[in-house]
Amino acid sequence: MTKWMRFALIAVLVVVAALLPLFLPDLTFYVQMVLAAVVVTGLALFMGFAGQASLGQGAFVAAGALTVAVTTVELHWPPLLALACAPLVAAGFAFVVGLPLLRLRGHYLAFGTLALLLIVQTLVSTVPFLGGGVGISGIPALGVGELVIPDQIGYAYVALAALAVTLLVSRNLVSSRFGRAVRALAGSESAAESAGVDVVRTKLGIFSIAAAFAGLAGGISAFFIPYVSGESFPAVVSFTYVIMAVIGGLGTLWGGVIGAVLVSLLAQGLTTLSASPGLPTTAGPILQYAAYAAVLILALIFLPRGILPSVSSAIARRRARAPGTLTALAAEQPVEAE
Amino acid sequence: MLTISDLVVRYGAAVALDRVSLTVERAEMVALVGPNGAGKSSIVNAVSGVIPIASGTISLSGRAAQVPEGRHMFADMTVEDNLRLGAWAVKDRDVAPIYDLLPDLARLRKRLSGTLSGGQQQMVAVGRALMAKPDLLLIDELSLGLAPLVVADLAAHLRALNRETGTTILLIEQEVDLAFELCERAYVLEAGRIVAAGTSEQLRSDPSLRDAYFGRDVEANAPSAPKEQR
Amino acid sequence: MNDFIVYVVSGLAIGCAFALVGSGFVVVHRVTRVVNFTQGTLAVFAAMISYSLLAKGVPHGLAEVIAVLATGAIGLLFGLIALSRRGTPPLISLMITLGLSIFSAAVIILVWGQDPLSPPGLRGSLSIAGATIETQRLLVAVVAVVVFVGLWLFFDHSYAGKGLTAAASNPRAAGLVGINVRRMGLVSFAIAGVLGGIAGVLISPSNAMSFSSDLPLALSGFAAAVFGGLTSLWKTLIGGLVLGVAGQLVAGYLVGSYQTAIALVMMLVLMIARHRSLAVEEAK
Repeated sequence: MTKWMRFALIAVLVVVAALLPLFLPDLTFYVQMVLAAVVVTGLALFMGFAGQASLGQGAFVAAGALTVAVTTVELHWPPLLALACAPLVAAGFAFVVGLPLLRLRGHYLAFGTLALLLIVQTLVSTVPFLGGGVGISGIPALGVGELVIPDQIGYAYVALAALAVTLLVSRNLVSSRFGRAVRALAGSESAAESAGVDVVRTKLGIFSIAAAFAGLAGGISAFFIPYVSGESFPAVVSFTYVIMAVIGGLGTLWGGVIGAVLVSLLAQGLTTLSASPGLPTTAGPILQYAAYAAVLILALIFLPRGILPSVSSAIARRRARAPGTLTALAAEQPVEAE
Repeated sequence: MLTISDLVVRYGAAVALDRVSLTVERAEMVALVGPNGAGKSSIVNAVSGVIPIASGTISLSGRAAQVPEGRHMFADMTVEDNLRLGAWAVKDRDVAPIYDLLPDLARLRKRLSGTLSGGQQQMVAVGRALMAKPDLLLIDELSLGLAPLVVADLAAHLRALNRETGTTILLIEQEVDLAFELCERAYVLEAGRIVAAGTSEQLRSDPSLRDAYFGRDVEANAPSAPKEQR
Repeated sequence: MNDFIVYVVSGLAIGCAFALVGSGFVVVHRVTRVVNFTQGTLAVFAAMISYSLLAKGVPHGLAEVIAVLATGAIGLLFGLIALSRRGTPPLISLMITLGLSIFSAAVIILVWGQDPLSPPGLRGSLSIAGATIETQRLLVAVVAVVVFVGLWLFFDHSYAGKGLTAAASNPRAAGLVGINVRRMGLVSFAIAGVLGGIAGVLISPSNAMSFSSDLPLALSGFAAAVFGGLTSLWKTLIGGLVLGVAGQLVAGYLVGSYQTAIALVMMLVLMIARHRSLAVEEAK
């Protein structure tokens, strides 16, 4: 794909994305899809470059959402300040937690991040400051002083702006010096180490950045749906983020967007299908679960690199075998001689 | 016993074996020598069915068992368990005949195989292969990482095995002198092709062959007098 | 004091269930290096199936056995899918089993609905050391011990069990002696299904289960397995018991909702503290 084709494609995408909110009657789905893309962009980078799975990314979404909820409702901070703090708090939380946690690898890290999510859930459900058993409601609308966002469309554009920022940051990150360290990490940790890359710090960095994106998304969603409780971050949503990341393509810039869009559209399509006569009302969520899962399984078995094969294989070709690394191993063709 | 014709083996785009043909007759001891990376292990793995063949034929009359390069112990299991597992594919799990042939193993039977020395592990690996009552024993790099005395001891056992039971042996060896010492016939493999074949006597004293394929090994192995005195 | 004994006993019973689920993790991991996320799901399936069978009038004992065997088959099916492609790296297989657990949740909702169900168990109770203990809980403990002894006998003292261990220990050599490593992997999944099924059947009379019960069970079971470094069955049993008792004590004397969190924190601390030795195990 030539540079011009790419540019044109992105331009078309941007135009479509920007115009859609004007035509859709209910924007809840759209906003949630875009926010998911924000989260998954970070997750796809982490999973792709650090080569580890995070099953509990919702913990950082929660951190961002809670920052907004607590600071606006209980501390009466201005909304914009609260939103600005959301990614920072999430990143800080990830940094602190990541120091011990990132010593784990493979399935231990996967379960560790999941445990983190559940612990966060418990805290949100019990600690009064964080909402106790009732959650935090009455979050004000996002805005500056008198100028607040009156309706859903405003939030849709805020979400799009956040996504744009996320993508820009990611792109610059990947081509920066830090990005080079991250990419070296993806190839082989020991090789990176001997090349002078501080593996621990690099992993921590990308973990925190992914968390910052998640926190930003969480913060915006706290304004959009002005209620935060322990139920707001179920594990299955974090699993869905992983599914989106895998489908969209780990370690790629657009993987998050592609994965989020595809999986969300799939979900929406199924919901519409389940509303058709003949199916019980509970069919919707069931079919969604089943479909996500089936798609994940099939994708992992047949397309372990995700739906952006050209980009992924280009990155994969530069990778050597590293134990426990997701994409490095997924990119390898199983040699028949075993 | 074993006839390989025009065998071709590929790893992806690379050709590991390029139309290799060789034969091993019953009760023979034949060696396959050649430098590192020549493709020797590929032949053994192809015969064992571990890797797929691109083209050519392998015809084997009887059962083959492999003593893999690097021994590959079931490290957390005892010597006896390792041996008994060798009989997985056959009905008879009686370890006694192996202990008769390799008495040292009887002494080590309850030891965890991961704690043994290289030479002892190699003996276990041979014993484990023999538990399958094979007609053909494929040995991949017998001497790798082992001291000369240990290798000599193993070689003596193999010679006895061949003499007493008529078990055919195909020995893959980098160590040329060991190979020619133990086996009456040999093939020379280089970059996936058989480049020379004949009796050990012929190959041993062929100077151009030695220069081309054994290079410095000739000098390194020349003062090997202690090995000759047995 | 009475309360204490009750907490400890119910903790031991739950701990046995954790240990059984954990042993499923260990068996699969030892043979295939895969962490099977569906361990909790298998327990839920067994609970649901035995509920349905008992409701239809199948006698006690038979219903549970059928449920366990059925879960063994389901475990085998999961294994077929998770191991379907040769050379799939274990982390990807973990995610495949994650997908399977989500899919199974959907199936469970479809067949049994969303409400928690609890099959009838053993009625009555016994008096031990001045405290009343439900017979069901005693049954859990007895069966768990029997199962663990059986597992020990199988893996350490039977030829087939040694074959399974060998497949895990050195797949290359195992293949050479004729052990079908892939088949061993499938067998391990079937065994894990049976183990998870036993856990589900034992614990569901006291603790109702629904489509979402698989996650806390899987986490607790994994935590127990971590005690054993994902390899030692006896340490998994001890780990499960410790987690079960600690959880019940916390729930009883402190706040009930912290139960899972405590288990999770213990698991995290353990994993991080032992991360080097765990990594060494993985590299083998």
